[in-house]
Amino acid sequence: MQNPLLNNRSSIVAYFLVWLIVICVHVVLSSLYAGIPVHVAIGEGLTVNVLFAAIGLGLWFPVFYGKPAGEKVLNFIIRHIFACLSAVALWIVIQYVILYSMFGSETGYMDYLKRSIPWKSVTGILYYWLIILVYYLLIYYTNMKNSLVKEARLETLVRESELNSLKSQINPHFLFNSLNSISSLTLIHPEKAQEMIIKLSDFLRYSVANKDEKLTPLHEELENINRYLDIEKIRFGKRLSVHQIVDDMALDMKLPGLILQPLIENAVKYSIYENTEPASIELVCKPQPDVLLITVRNQYDPEMKQKQGAGLGLQNIRNRLKIMYDQEDLIAIRKEVNTFEIRIVIPQNKSV
Amino acid sequence: MNKIKTIIIEDEELSRELIKNFLKDLEDIEIIKECENGFEGIKAINELDPDLVFLDIQMPKLNGFEMLELVDQSPEIIFITAHNDYAIRAFEMNAVDYLLKPYSKDRLISAVSRVRQRIAAGHDKSHPEPDRDDTINRLIRQPLGDNLNRIVVKSGTRIRVIPVDRIIYLEAQDDYVMIYTDEGKHLKKGTMNHFEEHLDADSFVRVHRSYIVKIDQVSMIEPYSRDNYIMKLKNGAQIRVSRKGLKNIREKFNF
Repeated sequence: MQNPLLNNRSSIVAYFLVWLIVICVHVVLSSLYAGIPVHVAIGEGLTVNVLFAAIGLGLWFPVFYGKPAGEKVLNFIIRHIFACLSAVALWIVIQYVILYSMFGSETGYMDYLKRSIPWKSVTGILYYWLIILVYYLLIYYTNMKNSLVKEARLETLVRESELNSLKSQINPHFLFNSLNSISSLTLIHPEKAQEMIIKLSDFLRYSVANKDEKLTPLHEELENINRYLDIEKIRFGKRLSVHQIVDDMALDMKLPGLILQPLIENAVKYSIYENTEPASIELVCKPQPDVLLITVRNQYDPEMKQKQGAGLGLQNIRNRLKIMYDQEDLIAIRKEVNTFEIRIVIPQNKSV
Repeated sequence: MNKIKTIIIEDEELSRELIKNFLKDLEDIEIIKECENGFEGIKAINELDPDLVFLDIQMPKLNGFEMLELVDQSPEIIFITAHNDYAIRAFEMNAVDYLLKPYSKDRLISAVSRVRQRIAAGHDKSHPEPDRDDTINRLIRQPLGDNLNRIVVKSGTRIRVIPVDRIIYLEAQDDYVMIYTDEGKHLKKGTMNHFEEHLDADSFVRVHRSYIVKIDQVSMIEPYSRDNYIMKLKNGAQIRVSRKGLKNIREKFNF
């Protein structure tokens, strides 16, 4: 770590400005109250304080370099007392030599200089601790700033991973059931088996490729949903029928990737998995000013109690939309006697 | 040699085709019926008295386990499912085997040979099979933590599915339990302890040796005799509460 006082121009200027004030006060006080001639007072003020300003910059070394982590308080105090005494002694000796060579002929002043050594030492010790204090404050401030930056970065990371885990995961049972259907098709309809493998692969590839949070055009999402529905149709045959009403204007509108998938999966689950009769699912995509409106409707049997864990998918979508668009009311659920309807609203003026 | 009369109960056609295809070379297996759902399954099992049933677990309305609760016969069962979390229950029901989709022909054939052994051993189903493979053993050790969310009962030839939400209270009647709902009562074979264990403990409470009550149906409780209390329900029914039952209620309601 570099000396924080020399880090940037403003802190260098501030440091020397403070010393300039100290020099002025020193000159005024010593000429007015100690009766020292003005030219001598100026010479002394400059020598004494410029010298300590220079030593002060060097005090960064005992602060930073002699600092093993987890140091004991006693060690800390001993180190600084040693550094303080050496710095002050050095300061007194050098200023004495310089001032003697400059004003050695002024006998009155030389007396004063000798008498001033005790209180100058005290002042030097005070200066030392003040400067050390400033250094520690600066270190503390920098560390705090760094940890804040780190915290903010961590927060974005957490948010990203949260988004990823909220994203619909491929349902393993869907996968195993599909593989079982393929297993069956290889024996009775090899060409159809191949077709299903391709569909399943495309579906998986799309789900894996959409891992990062990004907006996808509706037509891509629809293609993927149709792959999924085709696979389910191979499994369930005539039991599943789907009506899609998609406005051409909506096809290029954007929505978060894989957000429709869980909605459709949910609809299939409640209308087909839990129904012995054929059932249909309706998907409507409509453009509206600044938003894309999507409605998924399916029949369900009100007698069937929702299984535990159901509804988790919807909660995930709700959370994802909330995180991405910072709006609470983007998803609405309506249950009627035997139809279940989910509406989601995707704002279009947002760039993510 | 007697043929093994077999029924396939599975809602997906391709899955039924696969089972038939794998079984077609086994001369001792005779498929007497294929069923698309649990309702057809119950009827077929009760009427045809098969030796072996291939049973899917996830089926609409009535799952494989619920279906088995309602059949009078006890054929050998081979479960076939994509879910690996039902294995414990499957073996609790004394299943011969538990095949995870997708499975190989060899796997299915080994399940069938297990059936042959069982049948040869004279339908002795009291001993669990010692030679389960590792997957099954691993699955069996997994905990099963789900509550009952519906109960199936048979009234005459009809099958009713009762969501647990509709239950008001349960009353013990010998080997049976009478289930009172907002639309009537249904008798089901089973013990109070079984229901106490499997119903959601947050909504049901055992108030007496013979009664389990849905908590939100309680309207008031008042003393009756020294150690007994009477509970009045919202539908007007009155139920006896034992001292232990009162303690259970206190714990649930925190008073």
